[in-house]
Amino acid sequence: MKQKNHVKVSSRKEQFTDKVATRIWYEEASADNPYLEEKSYCHGYDLLELTRHCSYVDVFYLLFRGELPTEQERRVLEALMVAYINPGPRHPASRAAMTAGVGKTDPAHILPISQIVLGGAFAGAGEVEVAMRFLQKKCRKDPVELSGELLQQEIKSNEEGDIHIAPGFGSHYGGIDSLARQRAEYLLSLVESSHVLRWGHSFALALEPHGMGWLNIGVVAAVLAELGFTPRAGAGLYQIISAPGLLAHGIELANKPITAMPFVDDQHYVIEKN
Amino acid sequence: MSLKKTEADISFWDRQRGVVHSQNGGWIIGDGVYCHGYNMMEDLVGQVTYMQVLVLNATGRLPSKRIADWIEAIHICLSWPDPRIWCNQVGALAGCIQTSPVAATVAGVLAADSRSYGIKPLKEGVGFIQHAMSKYKNGILVKNIVKQECEKHGGKPHIMGYARPIAKGDERVVAMENLSDKLQFENGEHLSLAYEIEKVLMEEFDEGMNINGYMSAFLSDQGYSQDEVYRIFSVLVNSGVTACYIDAFDKPAETFLPWRCDDINYKGEPPRKLAVR
Repeated sequence: MKQKNHVKVSSRKEQFTDKVATRIWYEEASADNPYLEEKSYCHGYDLLELTRHCSYVDVFYLLFRGELPTEQERRVLEALMVAYINPGPRHPASRAAMTAGVGKTDPAHILPISQIVLGGAFAGAGEVEVAMRFLQKKCRKDPVELSGELLQQEIKSNEEGDIHIAPGFGSHYGGIDSLARQRAEYLLSLVESSHVLRWGHSFALALEPHGMGWLNIGVVAAVLAELGFTPRAGAGLYQIISAPGLLAHGIELANKPITAMPFVDDQHYVIEKN
Repeated sequence: MSLKKTEADISFWDRQRGVVHSQNGGWIIGDGVYCHGYNMMEDLVGQVTYMQVLVLNATGRLPSKRIADWIEAIHICLSWPDPRIWCNQVGALAGCIQTSPVAATVAGVLAADSRSYGIKPLKEGVGFIQHAMSKYKNGILVKNIVKQECEKHGGKPHIMGYARPIAKGDERVVAMENLSDKLQFENGEHLSLAYEIEKVLMEEFDEGMNINGYMSAFLSDQGYSQDEVYRIFSVLVNSGVTACYIDAFDKPAETFLPWRCDDINYKGEPPRKLAVR
């Protein structure tokens, strides 16, 4: 029954580059060994000079944006990195880290395991990019008007669980995430001429009478967009920002017995379909 | 969900709190281990193949051995021990700095969760042929289905499941066709349509069906959805990654395609002085 006639297999002879190109990092080879670098430069700045004179946040910004941050940009990014240093012990990504830790998983795997979980498209890093794109695209619209339009569409949904009325905005455990709002307000106070973050705040306020508002992902996305980071980097940036907390929670459990975390007993394990 | 809310309704979350509600099955200590209604030790171990259980876990339905054998063969087709393939190269790079085999394999599998190769295109391929079938049943001619799809890509034959990067043609299609014959599978409506699409592409662009197109159509004929295919084949590339990992691991560290400093083409800012901060 097979098809007898197919295209004959042949190479397309595509031209691949001989060397990968980067605008980020230059390694100057040592005179006697071309595999060893004598000096490294980040966007033109000597790494040792950066080490002596710059903060981690400065160089973090430089890596992705190509220039060192202004004082305000540095303060905003640093505040964001502190505000979101830990998704908290109840977040699924932290729990994955804790589960790996208590399970005596190789400690080198704890962070990647939790980061993979953090990559989720709902309330995870996977939502940051779409939230950044949403904010960049919609921030010229009237936030109150847009919230009204979206709420009208959402009225058709009868599903249980949280609603993300727009990427980065919605309900959290059925309510408004007040800590997300507080973080947004503080970050907004650091930005002199905010556009994206201010628009996001107006949009979130318009949602509050309906039990929704800022979500953490929305706050992170708005600040990253405000600082000029590309949406494609959004997921990874959120993963980096959250990494310290995830690892700390995993390591905290790594030398504890497996009984140090709950194990659902048979009475609470319900097999619903057989 | 009410839109006008003054107080959060948390009853939905409270119902899940402290309780696992499983649609799959599980371990009832002292009784047995259950998987979608089957007693795993009595009904499955020694009775069915591993691939049948893998599909059962991914879809909730136990496939025939014949279909599971076909799916197993696809895994062979889509995972080769060649470290030039992107996911395999991740495995080799992990091997060259002595990563664990588990981490290396998982990293390579994760790399294949890609929109340009590996798993995601399979999901798209199933979506394409099922959508094309719906159009075909609504009376749209095959050549117009092809035309509409090509128009989305500036007239180029970029149809998921057809043509492929690096090489033209696909030897894996022929191998799987031979297996389908051996297992006595008949061409279903999706596969028949896939062949019709291939004919148009061959006539107009000298491009053919690739393994994605073949398997997407075959699996659609077997009743699998896009999401089910994505789930069944989630670790599709693992064996090739492991092989490439081992090949690199067994050699002295950092000897897999080592790069000298000048093997990087730096195109950024020239060295510059740091302003006093």
